[in-house]
Amino acid sequence: MRGAIDNFLSVALLILGVTLIGFLLIVYFGPDKTHELAGKNPTAAEIAEIRHQLGYDRPLPLRYARYLKELATLDFGFSDATGERVTSILKRTVPVSAALLLPGFVIGQLLALALAGVAAFNQGRILDRLIMALSVVGMSISFLVVMIAFQIAFASSYGLNWFPARGWDASTALSYLRHVAVPTLAIVFVGTGYSTRFYRSVFVEELGRDYVRTARSFGFSRPRIFVLGVLRNSLLPIMTRILYSIPMLLIGGSLVVEGYFGIPGVGKVTFDAITSGDQPVMKAVIGLTSVVLGTVMLVADRLYGFVDPRIK
Amino acid sequence: MSTRSARSWWQRAAVEILSDRLALACLSLFAVFFIAALGVWAGLWGQEWGATSATIRAPVSARHWFGTNAIGQDIFARCLFSARTAFEVGLLVALLATALGALLGALGGYYSNRWPDRVAMWVMGVIDAIPFYLLVAAVAYAMRGSPFAMHIAMVACFWTTTGRLIRAEVIKLKRLSFIEAAQVIGVSEPAIIFRHILPNTVHLLLVQATISFVAAVKAEVVLSFLGLGVKDGVSWGVMIAESAHDNLAGHFNNFVAASVSLFLLVMALNLLADVIQDVLDPRRGLRL
Repeated sequence: MRGAIDNFLSVALLILGVTLIGFLLIVYFGPDKTHELAGKNPTAAEIAEIRHQLGYDRPLPLRYARYLKELATLDFGFSDATGERVTSILKRTVPVSAALLLPGFVIGQLLALALAGVAAFNQGRILDRLIMALSVVGMSISFLVVMIAFQIAFASSYGLNWFPARGWDASTALSYLRHVAVPTLAIVFVGTGYSTRFYRSVFVEELGRDYVRTARSFGFSRPRIFVLGVLRNSLLPIMTRILYSIPMLLIGGSLVVEGYFGIPGVGKVTFDAITSGDQPVMKAVIGLTSVVLGTVMLVADRLYGFVDPRIK
Repeated sequence: MSTRSARSWWQRAAVEILSDRLALACLSLFAVFFIAALGVWAGLWGQEWGATSATIRAPVSARHWFGTNAIGQDIFARCLFSARTAFEVGLLVALLATALGALLGALGGYYSNRWPDRVAMWVMGVIDAIPFYLLVAAVAYAMRGSPFAMHIAMVACFWTTTGRLIRAEVIKLKRLSFIEAAQVIGVSEPAIIFRHILPNTVHLLLVQATISFVAAVKAEVVLSFLGLGVKDGVSWGVMIAESAHDNLAGHFNNFVAASVSLFLLVMALNLLADVIQDVLDPRRGLRL
């Protein structure tokens, strides 16, 4: 019980920290928006009115508290750029990002787990070295380069030209698959290298433990030991990595992929908000990211106890 | 650790790295890029990276080694100048991020579970919770397009990994008897931390600095594409971003030159980091 309260507190502190940094950078130290919103030749009274609306006349703690209230009530007001309600923008774009990123993420993680398992099984042998060499190559190629190269190879007249070069259309299953294919390939290519190395080191450490040797001497087959023992005992670090990748992927990954392929997801909206200085949208994205991460941390904590009863 | 055995340990490490063919190849490749960057600094080559000419999208020739781009600029010169940009970004970010991580990690580890450590841990958690590109964007926004917004944001993001690693190592080290001995004979706490503990984490710092260098160079490419990166001068990221139009026209020189250069430097450093990690690992050194 105490542990649960501690956990909740640390998550709350984390959300406070992230929102505070976001608030300071975007609103407090950010550009003054008065003149953008005021018309030509505004009177002093008009300027004062706008500054009051933006909250510039109030002290910092009060303004930060107002931001927290916006976050708690999920009401971030309206976008500066389009006038649309921020929550409705997010409702429209988050599903697009999820549909775009999830296939690549799932395939990439499964592929990395499989490759890491094969490599760890053949530790030091040629197959292991080949897989490790390929992951270093994968780690060394920029995400941007991969996207451009795949676009040329699969979606231009200089290559196979199988898929649309950019854009998004998920109205039918077929057009969804056609649009998601090239970004998915790029995500799989980029993510697999890092993950394979990570999972391999987890497996290798686990394979070196005494129980593996004991099980071998009792005549258990290696695949059986791997599935029943090694994989199960590696579940904790694997789960941690996957869970914590989700919020990073949702914003960090989508920003680059959607920016490049022109896909109207939450990353594209964030990117546009940054370039146009759309403060309400930026505030919402940073705040909600921290809430998602906090939720992930709480979920992870519950799952740990479930996977490893010693932690309970 | 006495000076003599320390020196022989470094010597042994150097011999081991130089006798590894892969490591030697990576070091040579790194040296080639470094010399290219130094030459640009010294004004020997790569100076005419901005000069336009009438020969647009020229193929590879003796005059233009990598051809020219859409406005007739020499791609080879731009590639060379970009090496300088990469080293500027990489070295600056790697040095500052590693120094910050070493300092705060060592303090946090030495005073673990007291309030300075708790604050440092909280700050690390908060920074790691903000998606990297979002933080860079927010810093760039707050600094209104200052050319160093990117560098500052990268340092702010990258020190946490080093910090956590050093903190964990210092917690292990401070329990060893040579530190207890130093405490007993009254060596001051700063001296213990900076002269006795931190030097024993150099192998970790070296690897972390290499990894931060790689991360900074790779991040610069994506940030320049997003319009948040290099403001003046040219970089491989800028070249890749501007190659989009060339690619549509079927002229891939710009794209290939920049991405292959980037790949070679990053790959050499990734492999080198692995070798350094293996060779300098003190646990392995004991077995030699």
